Amino acid sequence: MTELERSLVQLGRELDYPPTPDLAAGVRARLQAPRRRRLAVLPPAGLRRALALALVALLVLAGGVFAAVPSVRDAVLEFFGLQGATVERREQLPAAPEPRPLQLGDPMTLDDASRVLGFTPLVPADPGRPDSVFVRRDIPGGELSLAYRPRPGLPEAASTGLGLLVSEFRGDLVPEYVGKLAPETTRIERLRLGGERAIWIEGTPHLFFYRRPDGLDTQRDLRLAANVLLLERGDVLVRLEGGFGRERALEIARSLGPS
Amino acid sequence: MHGTVAFRTAWLITGSAADAEEAAQDGFVKAQRALGRFREGAPFRPWLLAIVSNEARNRVRAAGRRSALALRVAEERRPGDAVPSPEAALLDSERRDELFAALARLSENDRRAVACRYFLELSEEETAAVLDCARGTVKSRLSRALERLRGELGEEALR
Repeated sequence: MTELERSLVQLGRELDYPPTPDLAAGVRARLQAPRRRRLAVLPPAGLRRALALALVALLVLAGGVFAAVPSVRDAVLEFFGLQGATVERREQLPAAPEPRPLQLGDPMTLDDASRVLGFTPLVPADPGRPDSVFVRRDIPGGELSLAYRPRPGLPEAASTGLGLLVSEFRGDLVPEYVGKLAPETTRIERLRLGGERAIWIEGTPHLFFYRRPDGLDTQRDLRLAANVLLLERGDVLVRLEGGFGRERALEIARSLGPS
Repeated sequence: MHGTVAFRTAWLITGSAADAEEAAQDGFVKAQRALGRFREGAPFRPWLLAIVSNEARNRVRAAGRRSALALRVAEERRPGDAVPSPEAALLDSERRDELFAALARLSENDRRAVACRYFLELSEEETAAVLDCARGTVKSRLSRALERLRGELGEEALR
Protein backbone atom coordinates (compact mmCIF):
# COMPACT_ATOMS: atom_id res chain seq x y z
CA MET A 1 0.00 0.00 0.00
CA THR A 2 1.37 3.42 -0.94
CA GLU A 3 1.66 6.39 1.36
CA LEU A 4 -1.38 7.98 -0.28
CA GLU A 5 -3.44 4.83 0.21
CA ARG A 6 -2.40 4.65 3.84
CA SER A 7 -3.44 8.27 4.29
CA LEU A 8 -6.84 7.54 2.76
CA VAL A 9 -7.35 4.56 5.08
CA GLN A 10 -6.34 6.73 8.01
CA LEU A 11 -8.73 9.46 6.91
CA GLY A 12 -11.51 6.87 6.69
CA ARG A 13 -10.82 5.77 10.25
CA GLU A 14 -11.03 9.36 11.46
CA LEU A 15 -14.30 10.10 9.68
CA ASP A 16 -17.26 11.17 11.73
CA TYR A 17 -19.68 8.44 10.72
CA PRO A 18 -23.16 8.70 12.17
CA PRO A 19 -23.51 6.17 14.96
CA THR A 20 -24.70 2.81 13.64
CA PRO A 21 -28.30 2.43 14.75
CA ASP A 22 -29.50 -0.73 16.44
CA LEU A 23 -30.67 -2.40 13.25
CA ALA A 24 -31.73 -5.58 15.03
CA ALA A 25 -33.94 -3.58 17.38
CA GLY A 26 -35.55 -1.81 14.44
CA VAL A 27 -36.40 -5.03 12.69
CA ARG A 28 -37.51 -6.60 15.92
CA ALA A 29 -39.88 -3.67 16.48
CA ARG A 30 -41.37 -4.19 13.04
CA LEU A 31 -41.67 -7.86 13.81
CA GLN A 32 -43.39 -7.37 17.12
CA ALA A 33 -45.87 -4.79 15.88
CA PRO A 34 -48.25 -7.38 14.40
CA ARG A 35 -47.95 -9.53 17.50
CA ARG A 36 -49.49 -6.83 19.66
CA ARG A 37 -52.38 -6.64 17.22
CA ARG A 38 -52.78 -10.35 16.94
CA LEU A 39 -56.50 -10.32 17.48
CA ALA A 40 -57.06 -7.36 15.21
CA VAL A 41 -55.72 -7.12 11.68
CA LEU A 42 -52.74 -9.27 10.89
CA PRO A 43 -50.55 -8.40 7.95
CA PRO A 44 -50.38 -11.05 5.25
CA ALA A 45 -48.57 -14.21 6.27
CA GLY A 46 -45.91 -13.55 3.68
CA LEU A 47 -45.04 -10.23 5.21
CA ARG A 48 -44.98 -11.59 8.74
CA ARG A 49 -42.68 -14.31 7.59
CA ALA A 50 -40.40 -11.92 5.79
CA LEU A 51 -40.06 -9.81 8.89
CA ALA A 52 -39.39 -12.83 11.04
CA LEU A 53 -36.77 -14.06 8.64
CA ALA A 54 -35.21 -10.62 8.48
CA LEU A 55 -34.62 -10.72 12.17
CA VAL A 56 -33.05 -14.12 11.89
CA ALA A 57 -30.72 -12.85 9.22
CA LEU A 58 -29.92 -9.69 11.06
CA LEU A 59 -29.17 -11.40 14.32
CA VAL A 60 -27.08 -14.03 12.67
CA LEU A 61 -25.27 -11.69 10.35
CA ALA A 62 -24.60 -9.27 13.14
CA GLY A 63 -23.35 -12.09 15.29
CA GLY A 64 -26.19 -11.50 17.72
CA VAL A 65 -27.26 -15.09 17.97
CA PHE A 66 -23.81 -16.17 18.94
CA ALA A 67 -22.93 -13.25 21.12
CA ALA A 68 -23.56 -15.41 24.14
CA VAL A 69 -21.27 -18.15 22.86
CA PRO A 70 -17.84 -16.55 22.90
CA SER A 71 -16.08 -19.50 21.35
CA VAL A 72 -18.41 -19.54 18.35
CA ARG A 73 -17.18 -16.60 16.35
CA ASP A 74 -15.28 -18.27 13.58
CA ALA A 75 -16.00 -17.49 9.97
CA VAL A 76 -19.37 -18.56 8.66
CA LEU A 77 -18.79 -20.62 5.56
CA GLU A 78 -22.44 -21.06 4.65
CA PHE A 79 -25.71 -19.85 6.05
CA PHE A 80 -29.15 -21.44 5.87
CA GLY A 81 -32.27 -19.93 7.36
CA LEU A 82 -35.84 -20.96 8.02
CA GLN A 83 -38.49 -19.23 10.02
CA GLY A 84 -37.49 -20.10 13.57
CA ALA A 85 -34.21 -21.80 12.80
CA THR A 86 -30.79 -21.02 11.44
CA VAL A 87 -28.00 -23.32 10.36
CA GLU A 88 -24.44 -22.17 9.92
CA ARG A 89 -21.57 -24.13 8.53
CA ARG A 90 -18.45 -23.02 10.29
CA GLU A 91 -14.78 -23.63 10.06
CA GLN A 92 -14.51 -24.47 13.71
CA LEU A 93 -17.02 -25.48 16.34
CA PRO A 94 -16.77 -25.03 20.07
CA ALA A 95 -15.91 -28.08 22.12
CA ALA A 96 -18.76 -30.56 22.31
CA PRO A 97 -20.56 -30.20 25.61
CA GLU A 98 -20.98 -33.06 28.04
CA PRO A 99 -24.05 -35.18 27.33
CA ARG A 100 -26.90 -34.48 29.73
CA PRO A 101 -30.58 -35.28 29.98
CA LEU A 102 -32.81 -33.60 27.44
CA GLN A 103 -34.78 -30.71 28.83
CA LEU A 104 -38.07 -30.95 27.06
CA GLY A 105 -40.37 -29.31 29.60
CA ASP A 106 -43.39 -30.68 31.43
CA PRO A 107 -44.77 -34.13 30.56
CA MET A 108 -48.45 -34.08 29.67
CA THR A 109 -51.00 -35.71 27.41
CA LEU A 110 -51.33 -34.67 23.80
CA ASP A 111 -54.81 -33.31 24.52
CA ASP A 112 -53.51 -31.14 27.33
CA ALA A 113 -50.65 -29.99 25.13
CA SER A 114 -53.14 -28.93 22.47
CA ARG A 115 -54.89 -26.75 25.02
CA VAL A 116 -51.80 -24.91 26.25
CA LEU A 117 -49.91 -24.46 22.99
CA GLY A 118 -50.37 -21.48 20.69
CA PHE A 119 -50.74 -23.79 17.67
CA THR A 120 -52.27 -27.11 16.71
CA PRO A 121 -49.80 -29.93 17.35
CA LEU A 122 -48.69 -31.86 14.30
CA VAL A 123 -48.25 -35.59 14.84
CA PRO A 124 -46.66 -37.91 12.27
CA ALA A 125 -49.15 -40.66 11.29
CA ASP A 126 -46.01 -42.69 10.74
CA PRO A 127 -45.00 -43.76 13.44
CA GLY A 128 -48.23 -42.54 15.07
CA ARG A 129 -48.93 -41.46 18.63
CA PRO A 130 -45.80 -40.64 20.62
CA ASP A 131 -44.62 -42.49 23.71
CA SER A 132 -44.27 -39.23 25.63
CA VAL A 133 -45.34 -35.64 25.14
CA PHE A 134 -43.63 -32.60 26.70
CA VAL A 135 -44.32 -28.90 26.59
CA ARG A 136 -42.03 -25.99 27.34
CA ARG A 137 -43.95 -22.83 28.07
CA ASP A 138 -41.07 -20.39 28.39
CA ILE A 139 -41.33 -19.17 24.81
CA PRO A 140 -44.25 -17.42 23.06
CA GLY A 141 -46.66 -20.07 21.80
CA GLY A 142 -44.82 -22.81 23.70
CA GLU A 143 -42.75 -25.69 22.37
CA LEU A 144 -44.03 -29.21 21.91
CA SER A 145 -41.80 -32.29 22.01
CA LEU A 146 -42.96 -35.73 20.92
CA ALA A 147 -40.66 -38.57 22.01
CA TYR A 148 -40.61 -42.01 20.39
CA ARG A 149 -38.67 -44.97 21.73
CA PRO A 150 -36.31 -46.74 19.30
CA ARG A 151 -37.99 -49.37 17.11
CA PRO A 152 -37.53 -50.90 13.67
CA GLY A 153 -37.21 -48.04 11.24
CA LEU A 154 -36.30 -45.66 14.07
CA PRO A 155 -32.83 -46.62 15.35
CA GLU A 156 -31.65 -45.11 18.60
CA ALA A 157 -29.85 -41.79 18.19
CA ALA A 158 -26.87 -41.40 20.49
CA SER A 159 -27.68 -37.72 21.00
CA THR A 160 -31.14 -38.31 22.44
CA GLY A 161 -31.42 -42.01 23.27
CA LEU A 162 -34.66 -41.90 21.28
CA GLY A 163 -35.82 -43.34 17.99
CA LEU A 164 -37.42 -40.04 17.02
CA LEU A 165 -37.72 -36.65 18.66
CA VAL A 166 -40.18 -34.23 17.09
CA SER A 167 -40.20 -30.64 18.31
CA GLU A 168 -42.56 -27.90 17.19
CA PHE A 169 -42.92 -24.21 17.94
CA ARG A 170 -44.20 -21.01 16.37
CA GLY A 171 -41.30 -19.92 14.21
CA ASP A 172 -42.97 -16.58 13.49
CA LEU A 173 -43.11 -15.69 17.18
CA VAL A 174 -39.60 -16.78 18.11
CA PRO A 175 -37.66 -16.44 14.88
CA GLU A 176 -34.20 -16.97 16.26
CA TYR A 177 -35.12 -19.74 18.67
CA VAL A 178 -33.22 -22.72 17.28
CA GLY A 179 -29.66 -22.50 16.09
CA LYS A 180 -27.33 -25.08 14.63
CA LEU A 181 -23.63 -25.00 14.05
CA ALA A 182 -22.32 -27.53 11.61
CA PRO A 183 -18.75 -28.46 10.72
CA GLU A 184 -17.61 -28.71 7.12
CA THR A 185 -18.09 -32.48 7.12
CA THR A 186 -21.81 -32.27 7.81
CA ARG A 187 -24.10 -32.51 4.81
CA ILE A 188 -26.65 -29.71 4.66
CA GLU A 189 -29.30 -29.75 1.98
CA ARG A 190 -32.13 -27.37 1.19
CA LEU A 191 -35.35 -29.14 0.28
CA ARG A 192 -38.92 -28.42 -0.69
CA LEU A 193 -41.52 -30.63 0.87
CA GLY A 194 -45.00 -30.10 -0.55
CA GLY A 195 -44.17 -26.46 -1.17
CA GLU A 196 -42.78 -25.94 2.33
CA ARG A 197 -39.13 -25.11 2.85
CA ALA A 198 -36.98 -27.63 4.65
CA ILE A 199 -33.36 -28.28 5.53
CA TRP A 200 -31.81 -31.73 5.95
CA ILE A 201 -28.68 -32.01 8.10
CA GLU A 202 -26.83 -35.31 8.07
CA GLY A 203 -23.49 -36.82 8.91
CA THR A 204 -21.06 -35.57 11.49
CA PRO A 205 -23.03 -34.56 14.57
CA HIS A 206 -23.61 -30.83 14.72
CA LEU A 207 -24.25 -28.55 17.64
CA PHE A 208 -27.76 -27.54 18.51
CA PHE A 209 -28.91 -24.83 20.85
CA TYR A 210 -31.87 -22.76 21.87
CA ARG A 211 -31.75 -19.06 22.15
CA ARG A 212 -34.31 -17.96 24.69
CA PRO A 213 -36.21 -14.75 24.04
CA ASP A 214 -34.26 -13.11 26.84
CA GLY A 215 -31.05 -14.01 25.02
CA LEU A 216 -29.59 -15.67 28.09
CA ASP A 217 -28.37 -19.16 28.81
CA THR A 218 -27.51 -19.97 25.23
CA GLN A 219 -24.54 -22.03 26.21
CA ARG A 220 -26.49 -24.11 28.67
CA ASP A 221 -28.60 -25.62 25.95
CA LEU A 222 -25.77 -26.39 23.57
CA ARG A 223 -25.77 -30.09 22.76
CA LEU A 224 -24.76 -32.48 20.01
CA ALA A 225 -27.51 -33.48 17.61
CA ALA A 226 -28.02 -36.43 15.26
CA ASN A 227 -29.51 -36.22 11.76
CA VAL A 228 -32.16 -33.53 11.62
CA LEU A 229 -34.89 -32.42 9.25
CA LEU A 230 -36.13 -28.88 9.81
CA LEU A 231 -39.28 -27.82 8.04
CA GLU A 232 -41.72 -24.96 7.99
CA ARG A 233 -45.37 -25.94 8.16
CA GLY A 234 -47.26 -22.67 8.05
CA ASP A 235 -46.14 -20.70 11.09
CA VAL A 236 -44.87 -23.82 12.86
CA LEU A 237 -41.25 -24.86 12.69
CA VAL A 238 -40.99 -28.65 12.96
CA ARG A 239 -37.76 -30.38 13.82
CA LEU A 240 -37.30 -34.15 13.41
CA GLU A 241 -34.18 -35.62 15.01
CA GLY A 242 -33.06 -39.24 14.91
CA GLY A 243 -30.58 -41.80 13.68
CA PHE A 244 -32.55 -42.38 10.48
CA GLY A 245 -31.63 -41.25 6.97
CA ARG A 246 -33.03 -38.62 4.65
CA GLU A 247 -35.71 -40.71 2.96
CA ARG A 248 -37.07 -41.96 6.28
CA ALA A 249 -37.11 -38.40 7.60
CA LEU A 250 -39.08 -37.26 4.55
CA GLU A 251 -41.58 -40.11 5.00
CA ILE A 252 -42.18 -39.06 8.59
CA ALA A 253 -42.47 -35.41 7.60
CA ARG A 254 -45.00 -36.16 4.86
CA SER A 255 -47.17 -37.99 7.39
CA LEU A 256 -47.36 -34.97 9.72
CA GLY A 257 -50.91 -33.83 10.37
CA PRO A 258 -53.05 -32.16 13.05
CA SER A 259 -53.44 -34.34 16.11
CA MET B 1 -19.95 -6.51 12.31
CA HIS B 2 -21.99 -6.65 9.12
CA GLY B 3 -24.51 -4.23 10.57
CA THR B 4 -21.98 -1.42 10.85
CA VAL B 5 -20.41 -1.90 7.43
CA ALA B 6 -23.87 -2.20 5.84
CA PHE B 7 -25.03 1.00 7.51
CA ARG B 8 -21.88 2.94 6.64
CA THR B 9 -21.99 1.74 3.06
CA ALA B 10 -25.58 2.94 2.79
CA TRP B 11 -24.61 6.21 4.42
CA LEU B 12 -21.79 6.83 1.97
CA ILE B 13 -24.33 6.39 -0.83
CA THR B 14 -27.30 8.30 0.59
CA GLY B 15 -25.49 10.88 2.70
CA SER B 16 -28.33 10.58 5.21
CA ALA B 17 -28.28 8.57 8.42
CA ALA B 18 -32.06 8.07 8.34
CA ASP B 19 -32.02 6.82 4.75
CA ALA B 20 -29.00 4.66 5.49
CA GLU B 21 -30.76 3.04 8.43
CA GLU B 22 -33.80 2.23 6.31
CA ALA B 23 -31.69 1.02 3.42
CA ALA B 24 -29.66 -1.24 5.70
CA GLN B 25 -32.77 -2.68 7.35
CA ASP B 26 -34.50 -3.26 4.03
CA GLY B 27 -31.29 -4.74 2.72
CA PHE B 28 -31.25 -7.28 5.51
CA VAL B 29 -34.90 -8.13 4.87
CA LYS B 30 -34.30 -8.60 1.14
CA ALA B 31 -31.11 -10.54 1.74
CA GLN B 32 -33.07 -12.97 3.84
CA ARG B 33 -35.84 -13.25 1.24
CA ALA B 34 -33.28 -13.93 -1.42
CA LEU B 35 -31.31 -16.37 0.66
CA GLY B 36 -32.51 -19.20 -1.55
CA ARG B 37 -30.72 -17.55 -4.48
CA PHE B 38 -27.50 -17.11 -2.55
CA ARG B 39 -24.87 -19.26 -4.18
CA GLU B 40 -23.70 -21.71 -1.57
CA GLY B 41 -20.08 -21.36 -0.63
CA ALA B 42 -19.87 -17.84 -2.05
CA PRO B 43 -18.63 -15.11 0.30
CA PHE B 44 -21.60 -13.62 2.06
CA ARG B 45 -20.57 -10.03 2.72
CA PRO B 46 -20.22 -8.80 -0.89
CA TRP B 47 -23.63 -10.27 -1.64
CA LEU B 48 -25.21 -8.56 1.35
CA LEU B 49 -23.50 -5.23 0.58
CA ALA B 50 -24.71 -5.38 -3.03
CA ILE B 51 -28.30 -5.64 -1.80
CA VAL B 52 -27.90 -2.91 0.80
CA SER B 53 -26.23 -0.51 -1.63
CA ASN B 54 -28.93 -1.15 -4.20
CA GLU B 55 -31.51 -0.21 -1.58
CA ALA B 56 -29.52 2.93 -0.81
CA ARG B 57 -29.29 3.92 -4.48
CA ASN B 58 -33.02 3.38 -4.89
CA ARG B 59 -33.65 5.81 -2.05
CA VAL B 60 -31.42 8.46 -3.56
CA ARG B 61 -33.12 7.96 -6.92
CA ALA B 62 -36.63 8.04 -5.46
CA ALA B 63 -35.87 11.29 -3.67
CA GLY B 64 -34.71 12.75 -6.98
CA ARG B 65 -31.54 14.09 -5.52
CA ARG B 66 -27.88 13.49 -5.58
CA SER B 67 -26.32 12.48 -2.35
CA ALA B 68 -24.29 15.22 -0.75
CA LEU B 69 -21.83 13.42 1.39
CA ALA B 70 -20.75 15.65 4.23
CA LEU B 71 -17.54 14.01 5.25
CA ARG B 72 -15.85 15.36 8.28
CA VAL B 73 -13.54 14.08 10.90
CA ALA B 74 -14.87 13.01 14.25
CA GLU B 75 -14.14 15.64 16.88
CA GLU B 76 -12.82 13.13 19.33
CA ARG B 77 -10.30 11.84 16.83
CA ARG B 78 -8.70 15.18 16.12
CA PRO B 79 -5.02 15.57 16.88
CA GLY B 80 -4.43 16.85 20.38
CA ASP B 81 -6.96 14.44 21.74
CA ALA B 82 -6.10 13.45 25.29
CA VAL B 83 -5.43 9.84 24.35
CA PRO B 84 -4.24 9.63 20.76
CA SER B 85 -3.37 6.08 19.86
CA PRO B 86 0.35 6.03 19.16
CA GLU B 87 0.14 3.80 16.10
CA ALA B 88 -2.73 5.73 14.53
CA ALA B 89 -0.52 8.53 13.26
CA LEU B 90 -3.43 10.89 12.87
CA LEU B 91 -3.30 13.07 9.82
CA ASP B 92 -2.53 16.64 10.57
CA SER B 93 -5.34 19.04 9.85
CA GLU B 94 -3.66 20.67 6.89
CA ARG B 95 -3.02 17.36 5.22
CA ARG B 96 -6.57 16.24 5.92
CA ASP B 97 -8.07 19.39 4.44
CA GLU B 98 -5.98 18.93 1.32
CA LEU B 99 -7.16 15.37 0.97
CA PHE B 100 -10.80 16.34 1.41
CA ALA B 101 -10.46 19.11 -1.13
CA ALA B 102 -8.76 16.81 -3.63
CA LEU B 103 -11.40 14.11 -3.09
CA ALA B 104 -14.13 16.66 -3.71
CA ARG B 105 -12.70 17.32 -7.17
CA LEU B 106 -12.86 13.65 -8.18
CA SER B 107 -15.76 12.40 -10.24
CA GLU B 108 -18.62 10.89 -8.26
CA ASN B 109 -17.78 7.37 -9.43
CA ASP B 110 -14.11 7.66 -8.56
CA ARG B 111 -14.89 9.18 -5.17
CA ARG B 112 -17.25 6.33 -4.32
CA ALA B 113 -14.64 3.78 -5.31
CA VAL B 114 -12.13 5.47 -3.01
CA ALA B 115 -14.66 5.67 -0.19
CA CYS B 116 -15.53 1.98 -0.42
CA ARG B 117 -12.00 0.69 -0.84
CA TYR B 118 -10.14 2.93 1.60
CA PHE B 119 -12.64 4.56 3.96
CA LEU B 120 -14.73 1.43 4.51
CA GLU B 121 -11.73 -0.81 3.82
CA LEU B 122 -13.80 -3.10 1.61
CA SER B 123 -12.11 -5.62 -0.64
CA GLU B 124 -12.10 -5.03 -4.40
CA GLU B 125 -14.79 -7.65 -4.75
CA GLU B 126 -16.96 -5.95 -2.14
CA THR B 127 -16.34 -2.55 -3.70
CA ALA B 128 -17.44 -3.93 -7.07
CA ALA B 129 -20.58 -5.36 -5.45
CA VAL B 130 -21.42 -2.05 -3.80
CA LEU B 131 -20.80 0.00 -6.95
CA ASP B 132 -22.53 -2.58 -9.13
CA CYS B 133 -19.68 -2.79 -11.57
CA ALA B 134 -16.96 -5.22 -12.62
CA ARG B 135 -13.88 -5.70 -10.52
CA GLY B 136 -11.78 -4.41 -13.40
CA THR B 137 -13.81 -1.20 -13.35
CA VAL B 138 -13.05 -0.79 -9.66
CA LYS B 139 -9.35 -1.22 -10.36
CA SER B 140 -9.37 1.34 -13.15
CA ARG B 141 -11.42 3.86 -11.13
CA LEU B 142 -9.09 3.52 -8.17
CA SER B 143 -6.01 3.78 -10.30
CA ARG B 144 -7.35 6.92 -11.97
CA ALA B 145 -8.47 8.41 -8.65
CA LEU B 146 -5.11 7.81 -6.97
CA GLU B 147 -3.31 9.29 -9.93
CA ARG B 148 -5.43 12.43 -9.75
CA LEU B 149 -5.05 12.71 -6.01
CA ARG B 150 -1.29 12.42 -6.35
CA GLY B 151 -1.37 15.16 -8.95
CA GLU B 152 -3.53 17.40 -6.75
CA LEU B 153 -1.54 16.85 -3.59
CA GLY B 154 1.88 17.05 -5.14
CA GLU B 155 4.60 14.54 -4.69
CA GLU B 156 5.94 16.08 -1.51
CA ALA B 157 2.63 15.59 0.24
CA LEU B 158 2.92 11.86 -0.24
CA ARG B 159 6.17 11.35 1.53
